[in-house]
Amino acid sequence: MLWFVLRRLAAGVVLIVAIAVLAFFLLYATGGDVGRRILGPTASADTVAQKNTQLGLDKPALSQFADWASGAVRGDFGRSWFTGQSVSDAVTGRLAVTLSLVIGATVLTAVVAVVLGVLAARRGGWVDTAVQFLSVLGFAVPGFLVAILLVLVFAINLDLVDPTGYTRFADSPSGWLSSILLPVIALSIASIVGVAQQVRGSMLDTLRLDYVRTLRSRGLSERRVVYGHVLRNAAGPALSILGVQFVGLLGGAVLVEQIFAIPGIGQTAVSATVGGDVPLVLGVVIATAVLVVLLNLAVDLLQGWLNPKVRRA
Amino acid sequence: MLGRKSARLAAAGVAMALALSACGGSDGDSGNAGGSGSGGTLTLGSIVAPPSLAAAESSWANGSPYVQAVYDSLLRQAPDGSVEPWLATEWSYDDARTVLTMTLRDDVTFTDGTPFTADVAAQNVLRFRDGTSAQASKLANVADATAVDDTTLQITLTAPDPGLLTYLAQAGGAQASPASFDAAEAATAPVGSGPYVLDADRTVIGSTYVFTKNPEYWAPDEQHYDELVINVFTTAQTQVNAIQGGQVDATNLIDNQSGPQIEGAGYTIQTVELNWAGLILFDRAGQLNPALGDVRVRQAIAHAIDRDALLEGAAGGLGTVTGQVFREGSDAYDPELDDRYDYDPDAARDLLAEAGYPDGFTLEMPFFDIGLDPAFDLTAQYLSDVGITVEYTTIALADAFTQVLGGSFPATLFYLSEDSTTWQTAQVSIAQGSTFNVFHQPDETVAGLLSTIQTGSEDEAAAAATELNEYVVEQAWFVPYYRAQLGFASGPDTDVVLQSDNAYPLLQNITPAA
Repeated sequence: MLWFVLRRLAAGVVLIVAIAVLAFFLLYATGGDVGRRILGPTASADTVAQKNTQLGLDKPALSQFADWASGAVRGDFGRSWFTGQSVSDAVTGRLAVTLSLVIGATVLTAVVAVVLGVLAARRGGWVDTAVQFLSVLGFAVPGFLVAILLVLVFAINLDLVDPTGYTRFADSPSGWLSSILLPVIALSIASIVGVAQQVRGSMLDTLRLDYVRTLRSRGLSERRVVYGHVLRNAAGPALSILGVQFVGLLGGAVLVEQIFAIPGIGQTAVSATVGGDVPLVLGVVIATAVLVVLLNLAVDLLQGWLNPKVRRA
Repeated sequence: MLGRKSARLAAAGVAMALALSACGGSDGDSGNAGGSGSGGTLTLGSIVAPPSLAAAESSWANGSPYVQAVYDSLLRQAPDGSVEPWLATEWSYDDARTVLTMTLRDDVTFTDGTPFTADVAAQNVLRFRDGTSAQASKLANVADATAVDDTTLQITLTAPDPGLLTYLAQAGGAQASPASFDAAEAATAPVGSGPYVLDADRTVIGSTYVFTKNPEYWAPDEQHYDELVINVFTTAQTQVNAIQGGQVDATNLIDNQSGPQIEGAGYTIQTVELNWAGLILFDRAGQLNPALGDVRVRQAIAHAIDRDALLEGAAGGLGTVTGQVFREGSDAYDPELDDRYDYDPDAARDLLAEAGYPDGFTLEMPFFDIGLDPAFDLTAQYLSDVGITVEYTTIALADAFTQVLGGSFPATLFYLSEDSTTWQTAQVSIAQGSTFNVFHQPDETVAGLLSTIQTGSEDEAAAAATELNEYVVEQAWFVPYYRAQLGFASGPDTDVVLQSDNAYPLLQNITPAA
């Protein structure tokens, strides 16, 4: 097991280095005049040139990358060109905000999708039809539209929550809940229907297996058969989908954070990429890559716990 | 407001809160509005985040509230743009107007305990001149700044600068503690002597800036609130949502067309006109496009445009048609010049024929997203009507300024600011060395008039300003369409007096409702 974990972590490090190199040179190729972008149209040409020199942009690309990489291996990812903030501070602070949305959406997805999937698989009939209909609807309606509708209905018209902003849990737990409720719901809709479909399909497949009939013939209650055995065996594929959805939710958070003016990593990723804030983009890319590597590792370990056959493989 | 809403949700959300409590953010704060009576919290909206909070790198215009929150300037401005005493209580020029002597307050201390002295002021002035603020070049005429004694500052100029006092009332005069000059976190941990102190723990750089009252402020009457929050809005819809949700007390608007929605939410919108939209014909000597080197061609372009229709089509009528680049109220402004080039396609065709272009010519211009999309189409249409074919090259906004100011195009559609004084406007777009005289085309008449504005008496300067405006209009280097309205919304609990020469009201003029 330890060897497995170490191998996956080593592969992750290689992946992160490759992504960082690729991201840097892609950004460099499309870089343009960063100093002018920071200072705007009215700054003099001399000031713009001075800004570019200050940022090290007058050096060759390889030299710029070497400067950044030598700092990065020591944990110094530089400073945002557009705000002067340390990239580490910018990324960790905002990643925590985004994670509170994404983990919230993942938990909501897991709970609601399992309930809907199990209901559809066990009850069949109109319940199944209703879940299928909701799934099609969930897939068809874009997440940003859901977000805008939620703001209009629950924040503007009903005045139940604030339409924009984020409150830290430490400052006010209820305020925090209020600030993430609509974004989490907006973020979850598409992933709920995807995972619910997977749970439903896996449940139906598993319910048809011989061992389920054997369990029932031994007199186990239906509840124990379904939740103690069938759901556990059907959970593997759903877990894989949930892992993929988690990564997708990180992407979805970009739009949701814009709509709700939430200071998360998605909002930063967009503005930094559009502006060409290379140090900040690299920080965001690396943080996201680390997160994805760790998530995949966690999903693999969880799969092994759920299914001994995976451990042997 | 947040508390009431939260209470409604609290019971239903306890389970979820417990489940998710582990992932509460370590940074960030809500944009909730505080009560803005006397004291309390003032929540402002802004459409930009500052590139730096360090005094030597700070900007003005939309960035002014961030600067004003933390820093005092040597001087400050009244709402009409006139200069008033602040950290400097008196000032005077020598006869040649190249040495400015200022008497400074002796009772000011930075929030780190460092006293404010003339030596500190001198260092701040020189650091701004040598720094990378977008406005650094405004102090380019400063040759040196020295302390005569603890309360006397002397600024020596290479040449008289009619804009200097205004610059010292803005970012150029912002005073930071010398202890913060070279601090690693200078851009995000400002130390000034101003009315508020940045609360770094609750600030999310780039999104939400939280300031608390400076308890030792030397001018407590100017501190209208206990706390100041500035939230950055990047999209018009999010901004309108925040207004409709009562989350901001006052904000400048991204989109003026949202006016009815905002007023429907109980907010008042005031407007100011500080920018003109229109064509800048950079290629005054015809280097890229020979046709533009002929004044008759440039005048023909001015006659070809229906400004009234453009104002309606591009800005929904929210603005004022104009034909000049100088601000209303400045020495140079002459209302009659607005009508110098009426919409007259026949006159345009005649002028083109006289200049040797009876069949028109092709004009290459950039197309980029600066919120003027309809104006691009309408311009092409009007010019096409007189035989001028416009060929647009689409460029990304991120690189637009570089390309436009780098001399890649002979002309462009743009928004340009109308500064407080004739001198300032000329330094941005008319003088040989100005940024928007892209090809740095010299002109003897302009140079002579600017010299008079720079060194002449008040009356001589005013007369030269008027003459300069007439000359610039006659040369048709610019084809202004209209002055665009900038909207500023404020809620019922907040009084705002707009600044006549700044995109954002000055902080001292945003107060609890009387």
